[in-house]
Amino acid sequence: MRLVTIILLGLVLAGCSAGSGKGLDISGRPLSEGGDVPLAATLASIQANVFNPSCIVCHSGASAPLGLRLDAASSFTALVGISSSQDSSFRLVAPGDPDASYLIKKLEGSAAEGAQMPLGGPPIPQATIDFVRQWITDGAAPDSGAPADLPPTVVSLTPAPDSRRTDLPTQVAVGFDQDIDASTVNDLTFTLLRSGGDGQFDNGDDVPIAPASVALSPTNARLALMDLTGVAAVEDRYRITLRGSGANVIMGASGVALDGEFVGSFPSGDGLEGGDFVAQFEVQSLQASLESIQANIFAPSCASSGCHSGPAGPNLPTGMDLTSADASFASLVDVPSIQMPMTSRVTAGNADGSYLIQKLEGTAAVGSRMPLGGPFLDQSTIDVIRAWIDGGAVR
Amino acid sequence: MTRRRLWKSIACALLCLFAVNQTVHAEPYLAVQKGLKCSTCHRADSGGGQRTAYGNVFAQTELAARTLDMGDLWTGDIGRYFAVGGDIRGGWNRLDVPRQESSSDTELEEFLAYVEIKPFPKYLTLYVDARLRPDDPEIREQYARLTFPDGKWTLQGGEFFLPYGLRIQDDDAFIRQVSGINFNTPDTGWQLGFEEGKWSAQLAVTRGTAGGPEVDSGKQYSLRVSHVTPKWRVGGSFNFNDASVGDRQMQNVFGGIRTGPIAWLAEIDYIIDDGTPTGKRRSWASLIEANYGYRKGHNLKVSFEWFDPDDDVSNDERNRSSIVWEYSPIQFLQTRFGYRVYNGIPQNAAQNREQLFVELHVYF
Repeated sequence: MRLVTIILLGLVLAGCSAGSGKGLDISGRPLSEGGDVPLAATLASIQANVFNPSCIVCHSGASAPLGLRLDAASSFTALVGISSSQDSSFRLVAPGDPDASYLIKKLEGSAAEGAQMPLGGPPIPQATIDFVRQWITDGAAPDSGAPADLPPTVVSLTPAPDSRRTDLPTQVAVGFDQDIDASTVNDLTFTLLRSGGDGQFDNGDDVPIAPASVALSPTNARLALMDLTGVAAVEDRYRITLRGSGANVIMGASGVALDGEFVGSFPSGDGLEGGDFVAQFEVQSLQASLESIQANIFAPSCASSGCHSGPAGPNLPTGMDLTSADASFASLVDVPSIQMPMTSRVTAGNADGSYLIQKLEGTAAVGSRMPLGGPFLDQSTIDVIRAWIDGGAVR
Repeated sequence: MTRRRLWKSIACALLCLFAVNQTVHAEPYLAVQKGLKCSTCHRADSGGGQRTAYGNVFAQTELAARTLDMGDLWTGDIGRYFAVGGDIRGGWNRLDVPRQESSSDTELEEFLAYVEIKPFPKYLTLYVDARLRPDDPEIREQYARLTFPDGKWTLQGGEFFLPYGLRIQDDDAFIRQVSGINFNTPDTGWQLGFEEGKWSAQLAVTRGTAGGPEVDSGKQYSLRVSHVTPKWRVGGSFNFNDASVGDRQMQNVFGGIRTGPIAWLAEIDYIIDDGTPTGKRRSWASLIEANYGYRKGHNLKVSFEWFDPDDDVSNDERNRSSIVWEYSPIQFLQTRFGYRVYNGIPQNAAQNREQLFVELHVYF
């Protein structure tokens, strides 16, 4: 019986051997489907050399983890400009900014949540990840543009629509789904305004911004760049406009005007040629006030990812509710720390004696430095919080 | 699928299930060794997560080579209305990938904490399973479960792991990785359970987004049925995910049998995906595992897995072989020493790696 068992087991193992790979590319797909693609900073190359061989065994089909599908038909729309479901303060791919792209964090193993990808497999070599970084830096353009007779649409924008920043970005980057006619990208078709301080537009006090340059990227015909070098940062609400209607419009390489209508999700457009793309962002420098600290620190760094997300209660981390200025005030000021009950989270007038500062600076005797897993706040930012506390931690 | 390949797949499955009379890899082997249902040792009907009082007592008295006298045995219950438990895993791992520099790391892999609140013991349970890694707090399961007065039927709603196949601990096993139903992909919805005599069944209707937000009106339907006898067990699962991007249909058969000191496990999965870039794709994944409990506290686990990513493409198959020695010197502690070989197409280095690992597992 034992001999029979061994023979049968041998037959199983022999019959289930690994494939020879003959006629297949690195992803195990027939060469007739396109074959191997040299590693380069393009989506087609990244698809062929990273997503297909390493990711889509899990991230494909109807049951892809977290609904994230990375097959060739889905990867662009699933990644570019899309907020991470694990950490909504990041986009999976933020065009122009690889360090702020959650995809890079997952590949490099620096994401605050979840394991390094590919799960259970060998990490992607850094030299390969660098090509992904470069693709993102170049604007994270798709490879297969829309058919020439379709109008171009906007597929990404950095800074993100409706985002709040502490300073003016050095550039505005706009990604398109097809090659754009470089001659149509200029300061008439791609403009930036600020509201004049009232947060309202088209009421007569708007201030046009004069950028250093507006042009199509010299290396990527699907990326328009507005260079804001030298532009003074003014706290205000800003409005980006790309013209798809009127005398001067952005056009695809085939001469079809931009389909720009934007309602909060990419790609833009209503399926018809024409229509302006309009999006806003806000610049508000960090100030020693709870409102400013809430908007610039607590909300994006502490209350995200289901950490200090409330409701208030005795359980950490959710119970230390930092989701709004009112909640933060109630959770922090003169409230004893759960980890160190003899110390208040914020002792009004005494930053050194405030547990919040100890946690942010990494000097607390209990637990980890915050934000958990980093990146940590720089000292100048923490000093603003110190100033708010030393100033009485007023609401 | 060619007739020859079909026969090869069927042969693999049948041999795994019946002929070889020997099994696979992970904790279900304990159930096979003892002829017990998954729900005997775990709160979840299909296994995994918090242990029952029996599961805790078993782990202290049967699993360990030696049981230190620590007074009363730990059952997980704290009074009548609460129960807790946990699993802590850490270890050392070395990877050798062809044409790449070898890498190794040591880390605390995870700390799983289980909390069960029983406002109406026997009838209503509130359950949370959380992963508390230092840099990664995460709720894995959270649901309310109602047990009907006859004790046979249960209804649970919330976020939970789907019932499908053998719930083995190794999420990287092909049958769990390729099916996409593992300990990383809880889903949100409802599950109806049935337990009577030798039969166990679960039917779940969930979002079908594998932990992601709801994106369409389609649902995922999971059905798992098993028949358990003291010496052998057999079961089947069916899963259909109705998704706007393309449906996925999965089905499997799984089973286990005990032959002397060896407990065998096997599963074979057939998966049909619509909406891939090349149209409909059919794939196979299988696992066979033998667990040799040669002495109390010791288990030698040998497993073999096979994966065909696309039934219509030749020469793309992959396999994975493992040998793992599990040693539980005392209660609440287990060590694992393992070696694993991956084989795939030669042009993909990552598919041809070797892994050496040591794991320390503390549980309660």
